[in-house]
This record gives sequence, structure tokens and C-alpha cells, in this order.
Amino acid sequence: MPADAVARTAAVEASAAGTVAPVAPAPPTGTVAAGGQLRRSLSLTGATMTSTGLAFAVIDYIAIVSVLTYTGGASTWLAILIAGLLILLVSGLFSELNGLYPTAAGIRLYMARAMGERFSLVVTFAYLTSVLLVIAADAFLIGSAIQHVVGGPSIAAYAWIIGLLAFAVGGNLGGVRIAGRLQAIVTATVLLSTLALSVTSLFTVHGTYGHPFNIFGRGAYHGVEALVYAVFVFAAFEWVTTAAEEVNSPRLITRALFIAPIILFAVSAIFSVATAHAVPIGRAHHSSYPQLLVGKAALGEAGMFWMLGVTMVAAVNTFNGGFLVASRFMYAAAREGLLPRVFSKLNLKAVPWAAVLFLGLASGVVAAVVFATGQWLLLVAVGSVLEAGIYAAASWCVLVLRRREKDRVRTFKLVMFKPLAVFGMVVFAVLMLVGAFSDPKHPSHLSIAPAAVVVALLILSTGYVFGAVPRIKAKAATRAAASRPRRRPQRQEAT
Amino acid sequence: MAGWDELGEALADYQVTCNGNERLRKMQKDWSKTLHFHCEDNAVDFTMVVYHGEIVSYSDGHDGVPDIVVMTDSETFCDMFWGDLNPVAKYLRGEIKVRGSQEDVLRLDAISSIIWPD
Repeated sequence: MPADAVARTAAVEASAAGTVAPVAPAPPTGTVAAGGQLRRSLSLTGATMTSTGLAFAVIDYIAIVSVLTYTGGASTWLAILIAGLLILLVSGLFSELNGLYPTAAGIRLYMARAMGERFSLVVTFAYLTSVLLVIAADAFLIGSAIQHVVGGPSIAAYAWIIGLLAFAVGGNLGGVRIAGRLQAIVTATVLLSTLALSVTSLFTVHGTYGHPFNIFGRGAYHGVEALVYAVFVFAAFEWVTTAAEEVNSPRLITRALFIAPIILFAVSAIFSVATAHAVPIGRAHHSSYPQLLVGKAALGEAGMFWMLGVTMVAAVNTFNGGFLVASRFMYAAAREGLLPRVFSKLNLKAVPWAAVLFLGLASGVVAAVVFATGQWLLLVAVGSVLEAGIYAAASWCVLVLRRREKDRVRTFKLVMFKPLAVFGMVVFAVLMLVGAFSDPKHPSHLSIAPAAVVVALLILSTGYVFGAVPRIKAKAATRAAASRPRRRPQRQEAT
Repeated sequence: MAGWDELGEALADYQVTCNGNERLRKMQKDWSKTLHFHCEDNAVDFTMVVYHGEIVSYSDGHDGVPDIVVMTDSETFCDMFWGDLNPVAKYLRGEIKVRGSQEDVLRLDAISSIIWPD
């Protein structure tokens, strides 16, 4: 089939899938430069919704309530605003790093260049763990929400969790992928519904609304703890940088990185105000489905069912994005010889089946532990600590790479990079430490549990990188050397 | 540095190997793409057209609108098409640059992983 016919076929398929920005007019044959326009590329709306959708998981409702318990109520929006301003600095940091290495492997790449190969791997594996925790947490939270509405024995919640994970694993193994435009619609539905029900509850419930600016009403330390969890509300928005190869210009990712936090702030802040206004803090705090309580306060049973629907739709994004990002990372790591070879095996749908199965099983185990212990807030704490650590590391990368790779082209340069990157490093390191010893279940107490889990994860990750990786690499090298001789014919030099 | 003649030879072998692999053809049967390649060292451009998993053509220069653009040096391309090089390590080091959807990038790598499983 001639090339132009194939191009037309693909264009029709792309158009039917309806997943992309309008197709750019085809340039005359032979005029597309190496960096020319792709047939299908991510639009600014698509990139922004991807960033927002990656960040806004069901666990965010719990994070917002955690902020609320530390601020004491109505000033939660202010904590989210301050966190949002810090996140705009993170947007600048990741924009510069993405502009330096606009590739899906960017996070690995700039961390390796700034910190060295092994340390970057430790951080990257820890990052992967946070994705796993969010998948497990969301599975648990959705299972609990369904069980609350449907009723039945508490064990039924775990059956729902396993059912949801099995559904997600099955869909992934079958090669089912949510197209870009549908994903954007899903994200918009979740955000607009949350916004609508929150605003409705403000008008339908005669609740209290006092001290809206008193973020440190429960003491300065609790105010800082509130910021730790408020930062987590935005967590994972930076994963849109993995779509750097899908856009026609890295600047589009930069714009998405700056717009998404504003959307996330607006929705989260209004939800926090609505929760403080319509639901007693103690009730929201001890619930694994505070969003259902806000929905019920706003519109009764109908609001609760609406919010349950929103919760389930939000899970689609988490399961789709989480499984996809994490399994593809594991595939690439296995192909590079950093993970056991089995994770690079593909099924007939070109899906790394072992990686998807492993993620499903691991999420099921973590969700079971959470179900048995009731420690879902610990997952929020661990996620917050890891994310703050990643942002501190990103600040360090910008500082180091400005020195080491000063001549390399960047499509975005952070202004006043030295003071801002140092500020980012200090602030996020402090937030990481504060979060590591916080106890969101009992806000007035301190706890070593988050620190213990994070340290355990880092020890595991470090042990794996320094112990197992060299052995897997050596095995792969031996296999490659023994497999077959070089195929490429040797060319004779012209005399 | 490899010229078009050397690249063409590598591509011819790659086409035969890929099209002759039943498992790959089955896996990629829903994959129809136009791929543009650019050699950064000698500015040689070439195009590959895949239709339902079959490499139907490859040609000198850029033809049509690409779904995927791959950029690296000509030697790496040659080694890659002969199966002497695992492209993932170079990609993760930033030595092979790709533009296209993540799904397509994985599919592209899947070809090497299926026809040359180590």
C-alpha cells in the first residue's frame, strides 16, 4: 500500500478515535523536518487535563480533610492557596527540567545527570512506589465508598476492592486504553461535579463558617503540617512531563504545568470550604468517604449517589494513568536490565503483562493491609513525604544542571533560579521532615509511622539498586554476549 | 557515519525479519503508522511505513506526515536495525530521541524486543 494511502488510513483512524487535536494540514511531500508536526499531538487542553487528572485522585478528598483537621476548619483554603503558590515554583522547576530533556524518560534522565545513576534509581523506584500506594489507596477508598452506599458486611468492601483491581488489571491486559479526549471528559466531570456539589452545599446547609484566614489557629506547627497535606493535593501533576514526546512543542507542557495547579486549587479550595461548612470535622476526619458526606449534605441521597459516581469515575483516571505509567516504567527498566527480565514480556496486545499483574497484586496486598488496619491516612502521609522529597530533589537537579550543563539548550529557564531553587529545596525538605513525623489520624500527636514506612521503602530501594541490579545487569550482559554474533556486516574502508 | 546505502541495507534486513515474524505481525496487526527517521550526524532522513504491522515500505527522505519521529546518529540506526543494539538503554540516556505517543514508542521498541529477545 502506498505511503499516502496508509497516511490517509491512519488519519481516518485517528479522527474516528477522536483523541487528538485537529490534524495539521499535511505539508508537501519531503518538507517535514525532523522536528516537524506530528499527525497526532497532544493539545494544550489535553495536556492540562492530563496533568489535572493525574493529580486529582480519590485520595485527594482524604488529603483535603487532613488539611482541614490541622487548620481547624474554614482556613483550609488558605493552606491550599499557599501550597498552590509553592507548587507554581515546582511548575517552574519541572518546566526547566522538561525543557532540558523533553522525553518520557526525563525524570530518570535529569536525576541521573544531577545525582548519579544509582541514586537516581533509588529515587525513581521510590517514586514508582508512590504511584503504587495511590492505586492501592484509591482501590481501598472506592471499595469503602461503594460498601457504604450499597451496604452489607464490612468484608464486602474488600470484595469490591479486589473486584475493582481485577477489572483494572483485566482492562489493562486486554489493551484497553482510555483515549485522550475521553480522559479529559472524565477529569472535567470529576472536577465540575465536585465543584457543583460543594457550591450547592454552601447554599443548602446552614453550617458554620468562622476564621477563614486563621491557618495557624491550632498552632504554627499544625499550620506547617497542614501545608504538607495541602501540597499532596497537587501531587503527580508533574507527571504530565512524561507526555513531552506527544506535543509539538515543550512549551505546551510548561503551560499545562502552570494552568493545572490553578484548576486544582479552585476545586480543592471550594471542596474544603464546603466540607468545613457542611460536615462536622470529626465526622469527615474519621470517614474514608468524606466526599459522599458533602454530596449527601448538598442534595441528600441523590447527592450521595452522584458523588459515588464521581468517585468511581475518578478511579478510572487513577487506574488507567497509574497502571499505564507504572507498568511502562517497569517494562523500560526491565529492558534496560534494571528489573527482572519477565517484566519486559509483552502479550499479544503489546502490554507488559507481568508488570501489570505485579502492580495489581501489590496494590491488592497494600489495600488489604489498609483494610485490616484502617490506616488509610498513613498512605496519605507517606505519599506526602515522598512527594515533598521529590520536589526537593527537583530543586537540587535544577541547581546542579545549571552548572553542569550550562550550555545545553533549555526551552524554559526559571528566573532567579538560585534563590528559588534553594528556597524550594529548603521548604520541601522541611515539609518532608514535618510530614514524616505527623499523625493525620490524631492531629495533636506526633508519629514515627510515616518516617518508618518511607525509610523502609528507601532501604528496600537502595538494597535493590546496590544488591540486585548489578547481578541482573551482569546476567543480561552474559546472555547478550552468548546469544549470537554481531549481525551487521563489517564494511571495508575505501582505499 | 553510515550513509543511505548502509542504512538501506540494514532496513532491508529489518523489513524481512519483522515481516517474517508471526508473533510480531499478530501483535502489531492494529498498528498502522508512518515513521520518520533523522540522522543527526549526517542529516540523512528516511521514512518507514507500517500497515497493520507489516513494514510495507521504506524510502530515502521524509514522506507524508509522521506519527513517530526518531532521531539519533546513523551508526546507532544501523546497529538498531541489524539487531546489534538494544535501543532502550540509548533512549533512557537521551541518545535516541523520539516524538510520538507513549503507546507508539512502546510499540516501536516492542518490535526489537520480539524479533531479538536478547
